[in-house]
Amino acid sequence: MSRDLLVLHALRCVGTTGLTRVASFTGLDESDVESELIDLAVAGLVTHHRGFGGWALTESGRSADAARTKAELESAGTRPALAEAFDAFLVLNPELLDLCTAWQVRSADGVTTVNDHSDTAYDARVLALFTDFHARAVVVIAALAAAVPRFGRYDARLSEALDRAQAGELERLADTIDSFHTIWAELHEDLLATLGIARWSG
Amino acid sequence: MEWVRHLSGALGEPPEVVGGKAHGLVLLHRLGLPVPAGFVVTTEACRVFLRTGRFPGGLAGELASAIEVLGPSTVSVRSGAAVSMPGMMDTILNLRLTPDSLDEALKSVFASWNTPRARTYRTLHGIPHDLGTAVVVQRMVFGDRDDHSGSGVAFSRDPGTGENAPFGEVLFGHQGDDVVSGRTLTLPLHTIANREPAVWQDLLDALSCIEQHYRDACYVEFTFESGVLWLLQVRPGRFTGAAAVRLATDLADAGAITRAEALLRLAPHHLRHVRVPRIEPDADVIARGLGVCPGVAAGRVAVTSDEAVRMAADGPVVLVRPETSPEDIRGLAAATGIVTARGGPASHAAVVARSMGKPAVVGVADLHVGSDSVAIGGRTVGVGAMVTIDGTGGEVVLGTPRVVTGGADGHLRRLLGWADEVSGDGSERGEAERLEAAQVVLRRREGA
Repeated sequence: MSRDLLVLHALRCVGTTGLTRVASFTGLDESDVESELIDLAVAGLVTHHRGFGGWALTESGRSADAARTKAELESAGTRPALAEAFDAFLVLNPELLDLCTAWQVRSADGVTTVNDHSDTAYDARVLALFTDFHARAVVVIAALAAAVPRFGRYDARLSEALDRAQAGELERLADTIDSFHTIWAELHEDLLATLGIARWSG
Repeated sequence: MEWVRHLSGALGEPPEVVGGKAHGLVLLHRLGLPVPAGFVVTTEACRVFLRTGRFPGGLAGELASAIEVLGPSTVSVRSGAAVSMPGMMDTILNLRLTPDSLDEALKSVFASWNTPRARTYRTLHGIPHDLGTAVVVQRMVFGDRDDHSGSGVAFSRDPGTGENAPFGEVLFGHQGDDVVSGRTLTLPLHTIANREPAVWQDLLDALSCIEQHYRDACYVEFTFESGVLWLLQVRPGRFTGAAAVRLATDLADAGAITRAEALLRLAPHHLRHVRVPRIEPDADVIARGLGVCPGVAAGRVAVTSDEAVRMAADGPVVLVRPETSPEDIRGLAAATGIVTARGGPASHAAVVARSMGKPAVVGVADLHVGSDSVAIGGRTVGVGAMVTIDGTGGEVVLGTPRVVTGGADGHLRRLLGWADEVSGDGSERGEAERLEAAQVVLRRREGA
């Protein structure tokens, strides 16, 4: 994927955002991201919202991303392989959401309460399940990347979030803008966008 | 028979053997309520299969004779472990019953005990991995048979407030899995009253009969086929918070349980939960979903993240979305609360809302998001209109209703009065402490 399309596609998957998240998504330097964004803005594909300081796709940027992503997939001839790996992703997706929920809330006497993280044994158990989940997720991501190489970037990003969480930054599991959960949600959006599947209708 | 049991009121085995689902169906049989004919394959058969990869000796023969008793039918094949694991295992509907097809379906349900997601769920909830699941095979009843058919779920009382009025959802012309999946828009339970009055009356009678047996609120899943009601699942209501307080107090007032039982049924957790701000009970609720992050949020409706960010400069905003994608994180960050049409307690929207501590209502089935308005609960609410949402009970209300803290009010006061009588301690203490003191005395009495 060319650099300009990569940056364009980042905004498609992440939504309106600043340079830091686009850089994290693409693995490019912030200065490179910015120069790509300026070129894309000149082409009318993205726009900069002064009010809330973020870059956003325009309607034509959205269509351009859809068309170019699709063309790339068709020319590689890997749509069936990507679709098959997407099915494996869909098996994992509810489990990850279960885990994020278990991280945030606990059930006691039938009442759901916020996990105040005072029970370190419980937190350790959930973290261990994240680690187990991650080991299975990287297999699926490898299959995605075999079809479309840029999906390999999610392995690095998810691994980093998990490493940080294991090193004590527990908010990197489900509570920050660069959490394991957020990166996973971007992966989900990326797959839907790349395969041209509507998330909802009506 | 060693591995298979016919479902009837005579079946006396515990959930550990026949699973929770079959155990509930046996109760319905005993109460004389309508249950489709069927049989259950025991958890022990599942354990053998999981250990060896094959059916235990003799199971095939027992299945063949169970099939013969049931006669030519279309059946459902559903998992049912001793411990509830909602949505984790396979369900097979509309299966033409033959020895071969049943064989395959049974293996698939047994094997679904060990999917990674199910294993993760059990590890999280401290459920042993070696229990296995029973499998219930029942003649299908068709909620999509004709205009007088449908499916739904019902609580005998309102699980949000504890009010003594049946509560739930129904889908006319659909099978039950459409109700639970959230993919199709459901109607409030009471719409059955006008469309199918006989079904409604039978359902009310059934709910009241089950309540009397449990001496507790109950939950059922049902289907009506050509105007005839069938019950497919039952369990106690498992109310929490203010609803649990009101339920226990009302049941004691009605003489269904003693005051001591009412006090023992509540966990101190329930009282802490009562203290979360709630929309006052009399407010005009236009729609209800699932509250997944407690608290009340009032703000103007925005339907996109851009709009939410823009409008938030002038005051609080409630973001209303079909479901959420990463783009909505920005909108939610700007908003004071969120409402989505889809999703459950473990949805993307719920996870993000909780990470930001924002009240959230998800899975509002009768919600359609347009470009400059939303259709919700049969009304049209424009962008910019004021709404208030309750992330505990899942209510959506037009305007700004009164918000109360410790809403269970009269019921809670009376219940705590009973608690103080029991403990003989009328001093100033927290509510949970007052309940706990009474429970200590009552448990000591029980033990004596």
